Amino acid sequence: MENNLFLTEMIRSELSEIVGPDFVSVEESDKFIYSTDWAWMPQMWLDRGMQLRPPDYIVHPGSAEEISEILEVANKYRIPVIPWGGGSGTQGGALPIFGGILIDMKRMDKIITIDEKSLTVTAQAGIIIAQLEWALNEKGFMLPHYAASSNCATLGGALAPRGTGTLSTKYGKAEDMVLSMQIVLPTGEIIRTPPVPKHAAGPDWFRLFLGAEGNFGIITEATMQLDYLPEARLMRAVLFDDLDKALEVGRLIMTHRLNPLVIRLYDRESTSSQVKKVLGYEYDGAYMVLGFDGDPEIAALQEKKALVYCQQLGGRDLGRDPGEAWWEHRYDFYYPPKSLKLPWMYGTTETVTTFDKIANLYWAEKKAVEEGFADWNVKFIAHFSHWFHWGVMVYSRFIIEEPPQDAQEALRLHNRVWNAAMQAVIANGGMINEHHGVGLKLSRYMRKQYGEAWPLLLKIKKTIDPNGIMNPGKTGFGF
Amino acid sequence: MCRHVCPVGHVTRRETLTPHGWGLTIASVQRGLLVWNQDTLSVLYSCADCGTCRAHCVTDQALPDAIAATRAEVAAQNLAPAAVYEVHKALQEWSNPYEKQVPEIVKGQAEIALFVGDDAKYLWPAALESALKLLETVGVKPVLIGVGRSNGYLASSLGFPETAKMLVQTTLNELKASGARRMLVLTPGDHYVFDRFLNERLEGEWPQGVELQEVVSLLDEKFTADLLKFKSSDDKRPYAYIDPTHSLRIPARYDAPRRLLAGVMSTAGRELFWRKERAHPCGNGALQFTNPHISDHLTYARLADAQEAGAQIIVTEDPGCLSHLNRHAGRFGLHIQGLYELLADHLL
Repeated sequence: MENNLFLTEMIRSELSEIVGPDFVSVEESDKFIYSTDWAWMPQMWLDRGMQLRPPDYIVHPGSAEEISEILEVANKYRIPVIPWGGGSGTQGGALPIFGGILIDMKRMDKIITIDEKSLTVTAQAGIIIAQLEWALNEKGFMLPHYAASSNCATLGGALAPRGTGTLSTKYGKAEDMVLSMQIVLPTGEIIRTPPVPKHAAGPDWFRLFLGAEGNFGIITEATMQLDYLPEARLMRAVLFDDLDKALEVGRLIMTHRLNPLVIRLYDRESTSSQVKKVLGYEYDGAYMVLGFDGDPEIAALQEKKALVYCQQLGGRDLGRDPGEAWWEHRYDFYYPPKSLKLPWMYGTTETVTTFDKIANLYWAEKKAVEEGFADWNVKFIAHFSHWFHWGVMVYSRFIIEEPPQDAQEALRLHNRVWNAAMQAVIANGGMINEHHGVGLKLSRYMRKQYGEAWPLLLKIKKTIDPNGIMNPGKTGFGF
Repeated sequence: MCRHVCPVGHVTRRETLTPHGWGLTIASVQRGLLVWNQDTLSVLYSCADCGTCRAHCVTDQALPDAIAATRAEVAAQNLAPAAVYEVHKALQEWSNPYEKQVPEIVKGQAEIALFVGDDAKYLWPAALESALKLLETVGVKPVLIGVGRSNGYLASSLGFPETAKMLVQTTLNELKASGARRMLVLTPGDHYVFDRFLNERLEGEWPQGVELQEVVSLLDEKFTADLLKFKSSDDKRPYAYIDPTHSLRIPARYDAPRRLLAGVMSTAGRELFWRKERAHPCGNGALQFTNPHISDHLTYARLADAQEAGAQIIVTEDPGCLSHLNRHAGRFGLHIQGLYELLADHLL
């Protein structure tokens, strides 16, 4: 469309007639800002003075009906469509790599209803999660999706990549909290998933849209499960000499009917770098934060029982202060100046697997990265943050403090590190990602991840999105 | 990330008009990826400079200062929008953007001075009259300084730090000449200017040994000590207090105006969603000159918020806020009430 100003204007008119001229932008400044999300790749690209492909149009619809009409236009002219929530994704999932119509969802930010009996909230997908949480807090409720990006991310943006938050160990990921959704399909139909997620009325197609990252349609509304604000939150920290023993403690806690709010276990390198930088504590070992919430007596008892496991496996109780400090500053790890930042190269090669594999997976990934890129003085740090009854995710990260200055060279090196990490992950029984999503960055690993099942996903994509307009190039799907 | 609190991002929904957008725009001009043109300059001058982002930044990044510094560079290169230079000229000649009148020079000396400013002089003089009546009731007769003079924030916000310094320093000179050991201010915005802005952005210093206090804070002290009494209002209409622009820079001040109102009003106050530590600006400030469309939408948003809370009366003390809110209150069926006037009208 770049060389066809005539058609560009004709389509702009069509879009303006759908949403109103005030809600269609082709301003250079808007196109530029919307050309990047929070992934390292595009941020580095811009930092090195390189241009990214911008969208052709930025559209702000006010309803599912308007989105349906926009998709009709997109199908008619075979224009890519990129849904945009907060633009806070780190995987390049919202990058308009082929141009097209970028749909910014944030006009659709209303809370539709709060059901105080069923403890649910129904809200439009463009609401910023932090604002939703404030509104819920005023009624004594919480949506326990406490992601570091909640100040920026939208409800739809939490669901589309299957995001998670600090409290997931107890309350689940965003996908565990959603009861139902309204979705605009790529062909324009507006559908609603069943009103409840647990039933026996046929296949669980509702979950097809979670993790599709816009490829199967646009989430416009969601009904989410709430909780009452907890009466108490108890945080403390424990230090381990041996990471493997600390992992075993986590497994014991998760499999013995204790219900921790959070277990955050930093490996030695993370403890000596990140924990020190953000919290100011200088510990040598694996630093574990333990949290329990709810009824004060129950939380205290669970905490007490968890500490027994810690002590049995060599953990040293550091008391409340370090745990509470972590809770107070839990997002500081991800914001300047404490976060990893350019001109460094870095990536979060996080993964998840079952307890029987996690230790091997961690050491294998660490080895693959550290040995493969020793020439670049790569650092590998990790923490274990989202725990399940069957396993745990490892939030592994690599850092290269002096990457190539040339943007293309830097990108090549970045991708090589990712490749080494993901090969190790897949070879050791892990998933290529646990909660950031696939986006553009990990798109090339989807075939290997799913093996013989991948053609099934391609068939679904082809059926749902016959013209391939929805977020092409992401999550393994093309046109 | 502070997207969740940015008022301009909230009313425009544009990614570009958020702290992230402004930061990236400025950085990209520096990298040569963008140039300053009508489009990008409109972006630069769309920030309300309200400080809400910084107040919520987990690591206290001074983005508003960076934006102001960039505006200063742009203004120095004669690239800023025309409205910027027009307002600046007025500030240089008249010390205010509203009327072609130079500020009155302070007369007399007193233990306590009251900084009046330009909004109170020209936009909502009833606030000043009522504040003086209230102060007199508690035995305070301040000498008036800065009558009709901008506090300097507008000049800085537009990109003219030297003019801002000049305005602030002139006020400080008046303060010194008055001999006052305490300076009262009518608004939290004024308090912020003399308390932190003076040092953080203008590298100036507040005179040693001189206390700075909001009038609301003083009245609250007297009320709490039972030295200031009010009769109950007959008005049963639901009301809401609006935290003025810049309130959230001073967390300790949220309760004082609410206590005073509770001492007068016979119904419980409603609370806006965007209140206290997340209070959005009312549309006053530099935006009213550089981007009146956005300024108006900020005002609408505050009025809509009050309407949503079920209020029929909006109360606040900031003359600039009162003026802006009053312009559009009719559309929302709301009545705007100055806090000082309300209190003065109900003195026992």
